[in-house]
Amino acid sequence: MREGKRPKSRFRGTLLSRYLLIIVVALLFIPVVFPVSLIGYQLVQGVVLGNLVPKPEERNDPYRTNNLESMWHREAQKLKGKTPDQIDAKMNELHAAYPKVDMFWVDAKSRVRQPGTSRLDLPPTWEAADAVAYLKRYKENTSQQFSVIAFIGDDKKLSQGFMVMQVARSELNTGGYEMSAQTSMIFFGIIMLMFLLFIAVSWMFFVNMRRRLLRLQSAMTVQHDSGLPEPIIIKKADEIGQLEYAFNGMVYQLGSSLKREREEEELRKRLIANLSHDLRTPLTVVRSHVFSLQKEQLSDKGRELLKLTETKLGDLSGLIDNLLSYNLLTSGKYTLHPESTDVLRIVRESAAAWYPLWEKEGFEADIELPENPLFWTLDAQWFRRILDNLFQNVVRHAHSGRYIGIHAERDAAGKYAIVISDKGKGMQSASGDKGAGIGLAIVGFLTREMGLAMDISSTGGGTSVLIYPASGSEPGLKLKERV
Amino acid sequence: MGIHLLYIEDDAEIGNWVHEDLIGRGYEVTWLQSGEHALEKAAGSRLVILDVMLPGLDGFTVGQRIKKAYPDLPILMLSARTSIDDKLEGLQFADDYLTKPFHPDELAARIEVLLRRSGSFSSEPLVLKHLLVYERENRIVNKETDEEILLTGKQFQIFTYLVRHLGQILTKEQIYEGVWGDPYLDGDKTLMVHIRYLREKLERDPASPEIIETIRGVGYRVKA
Repeated sequence: MREGKRPKSRFRGTLLSRYLLIIVVALLFIPVVFPVSLIGYQLVQGVVLGNLVPKPEERNDPYRTNNLESMWHREAQKLKGKTPDQIDAKMNELHAAYPKVDMFWVDAKSRVRQPGTSRLDLPPTWEAADAVAYLKRYKENTSQQFSVIAFIGDDKKLSQGFMVMQVARSELNTGGYEMSAQTSMIFFGIIMLMFLLFIAVSWMFFVNMRRRLLRLQSAMTVQHDSGLPEPIIIKKADEIGQLEYAFNGMVYQLGSSLKREREEEELRKRLIANLSHDLRTPLTVVRSHVFSLQKEQLSDKGRELLKLTETKLGDLSGLIDNLLSYNLLTSGKYTLHPESTDVLRIVRESAAAWYPLWEKEGFEADIELPENPLFWTLDAQWFRRILDNLFQNVVRHAHSGRYIGIHAERDAAGKYAIVISDKGKGMQSASGDKGAGIGLAIVGFLTREMGLAMDISSTGGGTSVLIYPASGSEPGLKLKERV
Repeated sequence: MGIHLLYIEDDAEIGNWVHEDLIGRGYEVTWLQSGEHALEKAAGSRLVILDVMLPGLDGFTVGQRIKKAYPDLPILMLSARTSIDDKLEGLQFADDYLTKPFHPDELAARIEVLLRRSGSFSSEPLVLKHLLVYERENRIVNKETDEEILLTGKQFQIFTYLVRHLGQILTKEQIYEGVWGDPYLDGDKTLMVHIRYLREKLERDPASPEIIETIRGVGYRVKA
């Protein structure tokens, strides 16, 4: 079951493209941002400031060159036919109106006339040489000085003379730069704003990326009931989206293989259970016939053969038991529930269950266990299984000794060990009853799982098995041989 | 009239054999080959012998249903499976458990123990050496002297507990916890004192007891 279709990776919408976009914007920043901020300034001033600060009326500004020039020509025109005294009066009037502007006029007789307040140092008459000198000086100073010459009465001829005004350029247009400080503030502000915007966008880009990666990481580590991580909901088709998709694919694959594994395990368990049933049922039937036969009249030879058959049947049954148990145990399906338990109590109870059989088989049961409890951390169910296997081995494989000893021995350090001993022919001898191996393998496996250690020493005169709590990395099963 | 047992086993050969063997031992046996009518037949029975592997309803399900309907009816499971989880699952409701292939004597012994434990005593007195134990009437008579032996409450409880587990060896802990109902405390001499007094009343020679056997290192046993 796949969730959705694999998102297509187009260049648009990838992290790479988005990052490139941010970089390109950053590169274009300088050439673009200045004009933009200028336009921004104009807009801000026009729309916002225009309403707050009274804008200097450009057209009415008397100190604008255009205005000055047109005023000068207009006034010259108006003076058509006026007497020189009237012209003087007008000049005085104009000088009073434009105090920053220097002005004078030259009448038809080339006499220089100035308003009374004039600051200019001029010759009394205006010769051709004066005109040339003035023009030359004016040309040199044109960047600093602004001059207008107008014929009075707008005559094309010099009938009434001409009038001159001059003003330092520094005095002009001052109004246009009055707000320069404010302007630079706004300008700087806009640039800063753009910078902050850029930083914010980059920051957001990486924070978002980081958050998604962290989400992916937490999704990978969090385990749900199934023991698997949950699939992630994919929102974007970029590189992280692809990663999330691959992750989901992995989760689905894991889930399906886990399911398959469980199904196989279930199948195996069922198979083993069925196999067990199928093997034991005929065994039980054969045994029942053997029992029935024993009630019949038989020769001594026949009775002996029947006894042998019965023994072999028992061995076969035990072998099947152990084989199946070992299979189930090693498949790891059994969980341990270790708790502090009085091990002697379990040994006593187990021995109590086996005692009648020992009695029947003519065994001497030499059981000596301390009165005080001995607490080991173990799983009682499993420990009983260990004892069952060991006791069974004694009955089956050490029958000739007719002895079972169950003791608690103390070593030099005061640590107890449970010792189960017999007086059989030892494990190396051919007892005629094979099959102790698998039983011991089960015991070894169980002791190891419970953190117990087991030593087996076997000679021709008997076998003893020591079980004690393992310390550290003690191997669970050791086979010592004494000669 | 013998004690009625319900036996559920699908395998005809084993079923026939066990059926005949149990009848030979004096029981009345109803043998079913599937668990379908088990619940109805369980009504008049004193004990159920149940095979785990059954066609249709499995033995565990049948057993659980019977136990739910008749909580006091003992159930003995027969199984071809020995894995630990089966044992746990089975024993949650079953009173005992026997794996195939089993000896008919063992089956008979387990049936007897279960019946005794569930209080299905026969009217015949139990003969223990020189004693006659009338379990229904809670009476113990010395056969040789024909005198009734009177026990104190605790002595009687201990003796009854041992008799109900006839032939079984019981550890000190098991007896103490079975009779007193409290967890056994280490080194508690109470039980040993009681058993000494009990022997003085029951045994011919309390120094070498025959009725209450001491199994050295393990516990005590009353054997028929």
